[in-house]
Amino acid sequence: MDTILIDDDPTSIFLTTRLLKREGQPADTVKSFRSPVDAVAFFRKQAPTGSLPHVVLLDLNMPLLSGWEVLEALKPLEVSLLGKSAFYILTSSLALADMARAKGYPLVAGVLHKPLDRAEIQTIQARVQETMPS
Amino acid sequence: MAQLTSIADPAIRFRALFENTPELILYQNEASIILDANPAFLALVEKPKEEVLHHNYADFLPPDVQPIFQEKLREAFTGHTVRFEVYTAQGKSAPRHWDVVKVPLIEQGKVIGVHMVARDITEKAQAQEEIFVQNRDLQQFTYIVAHNLRAPLASALGLVDLLGTEEPGSAYFEETRTYLEASLHQLDLVLRDMNTILSVRDKLGLAESEAVPLAEVAHQVVQNLREVLAQCGGTVRIDIPADLRVGANRAYLYSIFFNLLSNAIKYRADERPLHVAITATGGGAQETAIVAADNGSGFDQELAGDDVFKLYKRFHIDRPGRGVGLYLIKTHVESMGGRITVHSKVGEGTRFSILLP
Repeated sequence: MDTILIDDDPTSIFLTTRLLKREGQPADTVKSFRSPVDAVAFFRKQAPTGSLPHVVLLDLNMPLLSGWEVLEALKPLEVSLLGKSAFYILTSSLALADMARAKGYPLVAGVLHKPLDRAEIQTIQARVQETMPS
Repeated sequence: MAQLTSIADPAIRFRALFENTPELILYQNEASIILDANPAFLALVEKPKEEVLHHNYADFLPPDVQPIFQEKLREAFTGHTVRFEVYTAQGKSAPRHWDVVKVPLIEQGKVIGVHMVARDITEKAQAQEEIFVQNRDLQQFTYIVAHNLRAPLASALGLVDLLGTEEPGSAYFEETRTYLEASLHQLDLVLRDMNTILSVRDKLGLAESEAVPLAEVAHQVVQNLREVLAQCGGTVRIDIPADLRVGANRAYLYSIFFNLLSNAIKYRADERPLHVAITATGGGAQETAIVAADNGSGFDQELAGDDVFKLYKRFHIDRPGRGVGLYLIKTHVESMGGRITVHSKVGEGTRFSILLP
């Protein structure tokens, strides 16, 4: 299972990578983007090739582009991303409005609050195994 | 004698009230014709009594509020006292907020006329509006602070969880602990920011004004930042007339220059030595225009949009910063009645312009 983290905070990237590792995910399957702009460029490049991560953990509060703006930028790629990459919003905010807003984006499989816990990671892993055989 | 005063002719008493009250009092018939008007009304519309009596009240009202006065008058003529608030000019007066009461005069079960009493509540309405805006700002501030406290706290929670399973003494254990320390430090910084911001907000409106020599403050800031400047090979040119004084708060001006210069240093371009030019013109009766321009890395103004001066908004991935400096600058500038704008180009630099009254 390949995972991409989009988060400007290095602490958050370290933490999430280690938590995923603890649940059995090899570190070399986790890639991270501290710049949301670079992340969008990556998806634009990868979408036509079909070589995409299974899981994307997307932070909301970032400089340059917010998580929502990343999702907006990826809208034209939705057809090629749906069914390949499951996007999860991973935010430290507890705002209820985020849940409602996330429903407007078909790419988003769920909203998670930092820090990730074991049960959440296992749920994501199980879901990916179910819906994305490869 | 005391008894005599207390039983004075009611007609005289009410006439005295009518003549002397600051409230506007009109007596109207069903066709909205003014049959009596008190001096407060005459003074407001700046007309002698003969140009008011036997005229339609609508003649003194702008078209947009005529229907509501018409409707309320009709309602009062059904025998009810009606009360409403309206923001309007009357005659050639400036628009004011009015608390209007229309009271029917009933004789033998029939309404024969309506008294209108209008009280000027402009100041109260403005105070309410101010409280509303302040409340909304505070709510927004609380939301932002809550979010920015939760971010390092969530990291700390996760890192503590990790520490429980990493091998004590291992490289990962030590790295986790270092990150934990950084997260707690970050948490502390957010709380400190809160203190700074609240103390600035407290002083809003109370900013002590004095004739501050601008060049002196700018030189003082450069002096205090000289080590950092020397380390990065940066230079600052200050072009402010020595006699230019601004009626402003000295501490605020210091904070503005300090934050502007700290930002220029933080976001300098790696490929060239930093150069900052600070100029100021005006003073005396004129507005003072302060410009701080650098040749730093700049930022994408289209991406940043309206967020440049907002609290905890950041525009650089690879530089440290919490998004507090520009928020403080704007708060300081606005508390002195000024305004600030910015122009920036990626790879070329940033120019801040401040206008102070």
